[in-house]
Amino acid sequence: MFMHLEVYYYAFILMAHMKTCCGWSVNNFLMTGPKAYLIYSSSVAAGAQSGIEECKYQFAWDRWKCPERALQLSTHSGLRSANRETAFFHAISSAGVMYTLTRNCSLGDFDNCGCDDTRNGQRGGQGWLWGGCSDNVGFGEVISKQFVDALETGQDARAAMNLHNNEVGRKAVKGTMQRTCKCHGVSGSCTTQTCWLQLPEFREVGNYLKEKYHRAVKVDLLRGAGNSAASRGAIAETFNSISRKELVHLEDSPDYCLENRTLGLPGTEGRECLRKGKNLSKWEKRTCKRLCGDCGLAVEERRAETVSSCNCKFHWCCAVKCEQCRKTVTKYYCVKRSKRVKNDNASRRKSYRLKKKH
Amino acid sequence: MAGAIIENMSTKKLVILGVILMLFQAFSFMVGGLIAPSPTAAVSYLATKCVDNEKTHHKNPKWFTPWGPDQCSKIKDFDEAMVKKIEANNIVFAIHIPPPNTEMSTWFQFLLLILHFDIAFKIQNQIADGASITIDVRLAYRDDKLSEWTQMAHSVEQRKLSCNFTAAKTIENEGRLYDCDLLPFMELGSVAHKYYLLNVRLPVNERKKVNIGIGEINDMRLVGIHQNGGFTKVWFAMKTFLTPSVLIIMIWYWKRITQMTRPPVLLEKVIFALGISMTFINIPVEWFSVGFDWTWMLLFGDIRQGIFYAMLLSFWIIFCGEHLMDQTERNRFSVYWKQVIPIVFGSFCLFIFDMCERGVQLKNPFYSIWASDVGTELAMAFIIVAGICACLYFLFLCFMVFQVFRNISGKRSCLPAMTKARRLHYEGLIFRFKFLMLVTLACAAMTVIFFIISQVSEGHWLWGGHTVQVNSAFFTGIYGMWNLYVFALMFLYAPSHKRYGDEQSSADQAGNSGEDTQLTTTITHVDGPTEIYKMTGKEAQE
Repeated sequence: MFMHLEVYYYAFILMAHMKTCCGWSVNNFLMTGPKAYLIYSSSVAAGAQSGIEECKYQFAWDRWKCPERALQLSTHSGLRSANRETAFFHAISSAGVMYTLTRNCSLGDFDNCGCDDTRNGQRGGQGWLWGGCSDNVGFGEVISKQFVDALETGQDARAAMNLHNNEVGRKAVKGTMQRTCKCHGVSGSCTTQTCWLQLPEFREVGNYLKEKYHRAVKVDLLRGAGNSAASRGAIAETFNSISRKELVHLEDSPDYCLENRTLGLPGTEGRECLRKGKNLSKWEKRTCKRLCGDCGLAVEERRAETVSSCNCKFHWCCAVKCEQCRKTVTKYYCVKRSKRVKNDNASRRKSYRLKKKH
Repeated sequence: MAGAIIENMSTKKLVILGVILMLFQAFSFMVGGLIAPSPTAAVSYLATKCVDNEKTHHKNPKWFTPWGPDQCSKIKDFDEAMVKKIEANNIVFAIHIPPPNTEMSTWFQFLLLILHFDIAFKIQNQIADGASITIDVRLAYRDDKLSEWTQMAHSVEQRKLSCNFTAAKTIENEGRLYDCDLLPFMELGSVAHKYYLLNVRLPVNERKKVNIGIGEINDMRLVGIHQNGGFTKVWFAMKTFLTPSVLIIMIWYWKRITQMTRPPVLLEKVIFALGISMTFINIPVEWFSVGFDWTWMLLFGDIRQGIFYAMLLSFWIIFCGEHLMDQTERNRFSVYWKQVIPIVFGSFCLFIFDMCERGVQLKNPFYSIWASDVGTELAMAFIIVAGICACLYFLFLCFMVFQVFRNISGKRSCLPAMTKARRLHYEGLIFRFKFLMLVTLACAAMTVIFFIISQVSEGHWLWGGHTVQVNSAFFTGIYGMWNLYVFALMFLYAPSHKRYGDEQSSADQAGNSGEDTQLTTTITHVDGPTEIYKMTGKEAQE
């Protein structure tokens, strides 16, 4: 339910900004009037949604788990944060929009993807006939940039940061695309080799951006930088000097261990964590320590019975015939430490604070 | 061989001819690099998943269109199909070629489709070892957007899945995609219609194990490759220009030969045959493909190329043999059958392979010889045998070249002791051989270098604001180069009209009966006119 609301919310924001943006210029990629918005906005909304879902996957076992309420509240209340997590969210959303537009281009959802008519005169004519059209990814990039960057109407450092991170997301899609070649010609020899760019899994884009998230660059701007012309120049100069492949942020992240209703942070109490699993990655094996131990919480083991499908007869898609099986699974959760050991609790809290300061 | 033009040509004329040929060579490269677009274009298609609720869908095949006014009832993903209780046998993958607001053209010459499946990893639904996917595919066409679709081909094909899962096979990684190899799907030898439609089914039959154990398919992707219309036009124009050029020099060459009082020698015949095969490959029969739906044009082009290469390789062998200078009487084709057999047999193997692949595709465009085990083994056998023949030929050729150079060294030490006529004869032989060897090595090296560049590079370079299409430059440049090679060969190695029979004394003829035949077939000018020729002579004398 919340997912659908989020999608409509995002689409609504897009449409609202499109209508109010006086700087919007119609070029050949877009038709005039509301029909153009309808054609692309459903793909843009679906793309943003895929970005959100990828964000949740990437941060499933982090203290910050890409909560929807935090993002909503940030956008709504004007208390928009400018930290590392915001940077990742903007990048993954922008990447999701670009990815989905490119993909839907291959489906035939849009007219003239990759074919720019004006240069050659005829619709789908000379350019397509003479030398073919450009890759769909170029189209996805242009439309994604127009839609997503249109949301940033400010002139301050936060807007510059978001525009930069949007660009990083689009570069992530291009950077992870795979160049694939096929030999053909006389007797199947390599007389002719034709290459094209192929979209990867969106998971690869997410993994790529997660790496960038860990190495995000913090930008220090002079305090008091407002909307004056001088500070605008300084902002532009600062951001232009940073590579378009690196995420940037302005603020440090808050303590995600603690609940913070003002920021919409639920804290890690009550979170599930992983322990003792086969084939878990190092990051996943340390989930309980990261979410519970380092946050001053204990780990509680709970057993539950679940009903799941088993002994299925699978086809390559759609309905399958399965039996219902019961099995007991063990899960781990973060809980407050017991009150009995007050002294241990206090000493551990002190050592925790000392670690935080370092 | 009789005295050729190349020996009697002055240095000035030879340099002028060389410069003219080099200018034409540069021009042929620039036509491809600057005027023509990339040789081929690749278009990515993502198949639309249509739902077929009809039970009797095999009687009157209903066509499912992915977009447009009469588009099918479609689903976004198979979670949606699960909710609607749609089964695998109700799914039709629909692909419309070309993309919206474009149309195919006869200038595209061929359409090659490559298939790629997006298969998701599921722990309980993995891809079985040696899994094979069964594809029920129909191809239709129409020529305007309001017509009915007309079926063009229908086939049930098998393709072997070759997929790797690079991540760990854990629950966390469920839903990630396998890394699957590309599969050959379809090749049309002509693009006669404006719009094509593919409807693909993956029928499931549990008892017969059809499409069981192929994992969970998320998507079907196709890549369509066709020749760019602009490249086709440039290519046709080039062929149309080259055909009369080579034809004229070929006619002139034959007139020179027939003007001789003696019958033509073997080498002259072989050079003429090379000209014929070059003309055969040049004739722009492809113009008919713009007006007619001749699907065999690709196959015909392959055959013509095969004939030319076989002729070229044979020419090199015979040219070496005729310049051996080992007192053996040759001038007969039967002398060279041992070396020519690898060429003929290797070419024949490649011809059979091409017939098995492209020939069968004339009837069934979805056929691929690599799809079955027997086909793969046969194809590999033919290719391996052709490779062995190529190696044998190369060894024979290298050995003959070695023999020629060894004999050149032997003759060179004897040159000062020879009479003037005999010395001029051997100097002519040496010069002819070295010149052709140099030019041939240059052409072969150029071909190999450009082939490697076209494999490695992106296909186009940015050169001071201009985009240079390297692949197109490769095609037009190398093609023009071999035409110039044959042209120069026929011009320079045509028999010379200058005769100086009076120079030969009767005493020499009587005294050296062993070399009489070779000597009488050579009539050379008293003074070696070219500087290169003189330098060669001086070098020989030292």
